[in-house]
Parts: sequence; C-alpha cells; structure tokens
Amino acid sequence: MKKCKSLFCIFLALSLILLLPGCSAPSAPSAPSAPDTGDAEKADIKIGHVVHMTGASAEAGGYEKNGADLAVEEINAAGGINGRKLVLVEEDGKSTNPGVVAAFQKLIEDKDIVSVIGPSPSTQVSAMLPTISASKIPVFTGGTNYGLTHSNCEWLFRFRPHDGMSAQAMVQFALEDLKATKIAILHATDAFGKGGAELLQELLKGKGITPVLVQGYNNDEKDYTAVITNLKQSGADCMLSYMTMSPDEGIFAKQRKQQGLNINWVGSSSIMAVAGRKLAGDALYGTYGVADFHIDGNEKSKKYSETYKAKYGLDPDFYSAWCYDSVYVLAEALKNSPDTKPETVQAALRNIKNFEGVEGVYNFDNNGDGLDQYHIVTNDNDVIKMVKTLKLTRD
Amino acid sequence: MSQILPILGQNLFSGLAIGGVYALVALGIVLIYRSTGVTNFAQGDMVMLGAFALFALSEKLEIPYGIAFFLALIIMGLVGYVFQLGVYYPLRNRTYLPIIIATIGAGIIFQNGMLYIFGSVPQKVRSIINVGGTGGLTFAGMFFDYQYIVILCVTILLVIVQNLFFEYSTLGKKMQATAQDKDMAQLLGIPVALMIAFTFIYSTLLGGLSGMLVAPIFFVTNRMGVTLGLKAFAASICGGFGDVRGAIIGGISIGIIEALGAAYISPVYKDAFPFLLLLIFLLFRPQGIFGEKVAEKA
Repeated sequence: MKKCKSLFCIFLALSLILLLPGCSAPSAPSAPSAPDTGDAEKADIKIGHVVHMTGASAEAGGYEKNGADLAVEEINAAGGINGRKLVLVEEDGKSTNPGVVAAFQKLIEDKDIVSVIGPSPSTQVSAMLPTISASKIPVFTGGTNYGLTHSNCEWLFRFRPHDGMSAQAMVQFALEDLKATKIAILHATDAFGKGGAELLQELLKGKGITPVLVQGYNNDEKDYTAVITNLKQSGADCMLSYMTMSPDEGIFAKQRKQQGLNINWVGSSSIMAVAGRKLAGDALYGTYGVADFHIDGNEKSKKYSETYKAKYGLDPDFYSAWCYDSVYVLAEALKNSPDTKPETVQAALRNIKNFEGVEGVYNFDNNGDGLDQYHIVTNDNDVIKMVKTLKLTRD
Repeated sequence: MSQILPILGQNLFSGLAIGGVYALVALGIVLIYRSTGVTNFAQGDMVMLGAFALFALSEKLEIPYGIAFFLALIIMGLVGYVFQLGVYYPLRNRTYLPIIIATIGAGIIFQNGMLYIFGSVPQKVRSIINVGGTGGLTFAGMFFDYQYIVILCVTILLVIVQNLFFEYSTLGKKMQATAQDKDMAQLLGIPVALMIAFTFIYSTLLGGLSGMLVAPIFFVTNRMGVTLGLKAFAASICGGFGDVRGAIIGGISIGIIEALGAAYISPVYKDAFPFLLLLIFLLFRPQGIFGEKVAEKA
C-alpha cells in the first residue's frame, strides 16, 4: 500500500512538471484526471458555500461563514471524514437573487463539490430552486419559508424549522401564555415576511380570530412613524411580527418605544439577532421571540457557544448555528456513505435519524425538513432567556 | 377620534425632519450641478461617508463628540477635494456623461470601501442631545426626537448662512459667478478651477453633515446613502434642477409627502411616493417648482 502511495506521488509530480511549463508538452497519456478509485481517498472533500460578502445581507453572511468555518475546523482537527479533510469553497451571493443563482452556478461547475450550503433569505432560495433541481446536488438552507421544501425539489435540505412552525409557536404562545385577544401582524413585504404573515392569518383563522391589523413595510425602512400610528389606532394588545432584516427591527423597536406603543410583541427569530439588539438596546427589552437556536437549547449548543465566543468574541446566533449544523450533518452523512456521489449523499442525509445538532434534533423527511421544535425566548435586559420549548407539527 | 391630530402631527414632524435631510443632500447635488453642469450621483454616499467618519472618530477612537463632529467635517472637506480631483478634474473637458458615470463608480467604490474597512454590521452613533431615557420629549400625544429637532434647526440655520455667504461674501460671489458663466468668470480673473473645487468641498460637507445628523437615527451601514441619494435627486428635480430654493422646498415636500402617504395610504408604498411625485413633475412641470428647464440641460 505504501509503495502504491509513493508511486502515485512520483506520478503526480511528473505530470505537474510536464503540465507547468506553458502546457506545450503533451500530457502523459494515462494521467488520472479526478480519479474516483482508491487514490481519491486523500483528496479533500469540497463543500460549496453561497455566502453574502457584499450587499444588504453581508452582515448575516459573515455569521454564516463563521459557523461553517468553525465546524470545518473542528471536523478537520478531529481527523476529517475517514481521513479526508473538508474544504469550504465560498462564492459571494451579493445579497441579491441573481447574485445567489450566479454564485451557485459557478460553484456547481466544480464537480468535486459534494454539497452546497445555500443562503438564508427565503426569497433567494426560492430563486435558486429551479437551478437546484436541475443541478441534482444537495443544497442546505436556513430559509424558513414554508414553500421552499414543499415545491418538489428533492435536493433542498432545511436546517431550521420552517415558518409554519414558527407561526404555530407564536400563535400558541400569544393566545395561551399572553392571553392576547386583539392581534396585529407586522411583516416585511418580501417572501419571508409575506409568507409568515399568511401563515399567521391562517392559523388564527383556524382558531376563529381575525387580526385587527395586517401591516406590511418594505425592507430598509428608516422611519416607522406611519406603521406605529396604524398599530396604535388598531387597538391591538399583542403584535406578531415577521421582520426580515435585523437592523430594521432595531430601528422599529427604538421608534416604537419612543412613540409609546407598549403592547406585547412576539417576533420571528430575527427579533433576537445580535445586530438588532445591539442597535436597539433597551427598546427590545421585554419582547418575546421564537428562536430555533438558543445558547441553552441543549448540551451541544452550550459547548458550541463557548467555542464560538472564544474564537470570534461574539455570541453565536442562528445564522452561524444552522451553517455549523449543516457541515456536521453533512459530515455524518459522508461518514456513512460509500462514495461522495450526489445521490449517495442525498440518501445518506435522508437516513440521518436523531442527530443532535446545536439547533435541535435532526430527522430529515422526504420534503427535506430536518427540525420540528421552536424555543420561545425573551429579551431580559439584553440577555436572551429561554421561556419554553414547543414541540410542533411539520405540516 | 381624539387621536387624529397627534397622528397627523407625528407624521408631519417626522416627514419634515427627514425632508430636511433630503434637502441638505439635494442642496449638494444642485450646487455641483450649477457650477459644473454634472449630476453627482455619489452625493448619497457622501452621507454615508460622513456617518462613518463620525462613527470612527466618536465611537471607535472615543474622541469627545463635539471634537469628533468637527474633525469629521474637516475629513469630509478633504474627501470633497480629493473627490473632485479624482472624479471631476480629469474629465472636466469631456461631456457630462463620462463624469456622471465616474460619480456612480466613485459611489460604488465608497460603499464597498466602507464595507471592507468597517464590516457589514450596522453601527450605532450617539445622538447629539443625550438627556433622558427616550432621546426626545413627548408633548400633546406626540413624540419629538431631539435628533429630529436638531436636524430641522441645522437645516434652517444652514439655509440662512448659505444665503448670506453666497450673497455677501467675496468668495461666495466668485463661486456664484463661476456657476453662472465659467468663461466670463475666467476672463474676470476668477480662478475657476479653485472655485469648482470649493463647490465640491462645500457640497461634500453638506452631504457628510446630513450623514452625521441621521447616523443616530438610521444607524450606519455602507448602503445607508443609496435611497437617500435617489430621493434627494428626485427632490432637486421637483424643486427645479439647479435652483437652491427648489432643492430645499423639494426636499422638504418629498419628506412630508412620503410620510403622509405612508400614514394615510400605505406604508408599503412609502418609497414610491417621492418617485410618483417626480414622475408627475416630469410630465406636467419638467422645469420644477422654481423654473429651470431640465429638458434642455439634461
């Protein structure tokens, strides 16, 4: 076996020497290009990552990169996958729909990439769906729009619970724990916000409740005076929100406090994101949110938080958490699969049962959904505290 | 309902203040247009640069707020000078088109430069007036953010000072003369290139100042100037392109129209109202409120 390896090394060196000077020399006739036999054991396993480095989502993109990087680092330090190292290949999604599609197409050109970690914004994942279906390669996402995993794309795997579940958790908590009677819905006008608002309305309808106000606003809004006056006039005693951008949430929270809108507020997960909290300060104290990730969620998340904080000097959030999990889940799948062909990896991912990640326990169904729980958390003087964990239904 | 007046007042107030910011940015666009005949599409990004300058000095280097504010203004003046040296001066003898493209390019460089230096996390800057917990006062059911009040005062003050400067100081008169007729000004011995440089410096200062004023409200990100710049552009056209009064009236009306439109029609279409107004003006009164014919100039 040793001899075999050294022979391969000599061969590799020779072919490099032949190839390097101007490529004029004809390459050796039997040069193994991308061998898929025993020799490939040493090659790195490439994971694509469509991550936003520029544009509106660059901030979240930075956290996602942190999470994925950390997981790769840990797995490699522990010996990699059956001796092979993991490598992330990053491509800038530019925070736009065309940007993520272009980045994804560029990544899948590299046939050595076994899976791609996609972006979080649902709108962008939605734009990628046709390309994902055509590419036939497993793609991971943190986009929580219900429809993403219900549009017959069997290659998409979701590492966060979907909005149907966050809506369930929000409605359940508002009605049962906060005893809300008049509910207002605030939502961003993109796919994520609109989808969430529709689900909330549907769930409330099932309970015989019509919201007193359904209010949209556009991402990147700076002045929420009109929104706040509408909310005040509606007479709502509880507000449920699907806001996409965490800075928007910070600005809204500040103006809400200033203009004296003091009603219960249960927000989708972005309400607890680091950026918004840093900007809003005490304006977000006392608000509730649903969180798929919490530092005290389980033993793994506690350990993850310590490592993450030591490395980046920041508390981890769900952006980093789902990317971290996606690398670990993929690693688990790869350990159990004989090769790295997309179909094999896809089947191995589907076979993952009760895998504990930092977000929760993963069991992938045929739609590609992995999780079915949500934590209700509250912002207690800038400390995010667990209120309760709700086990939810997937459909 | 007894809430009708406070709600109208609240929206009017925020519209006025945001309108003041549009006016300041539009003023910068108009002044440069008057003296060079080109539209500076990077003016919105000057807002962003001003906000970052203040953030870097007062929050990162922890220089006392007043000094930081003053230093940030000096930095913006320098930025204005370098900007005209790099973007306008080499292309000054070409048509307006290459220069406009160059300003767009410069804007993109500024945005990504700041992203590179300061990262993508939005940053927080303190308000100018920091008393009380809420950063403003509640009166007759309305909330008055101190920062909004400061913005309004600064806008009014600047308009007065600027008017005095252009009408009564020699430098101001020379800049006016350059704006009105470059060749004539040159014949009279006015250093035209220098006057144009001054105009760029002053316009950049205006943009930067508006950035420093809105930083505590908007939070500082590398893209904070994009929509602002576009709305200011719309404001300068509605007011009458090339007219200083027009920029101010246009800016403030756009601020108020979008605030009231959001309150009484729909917040979802808030960003559409300024551009709807722009379209109406372009269709029915292309020369704007105060008159210069855009069709001939642009």
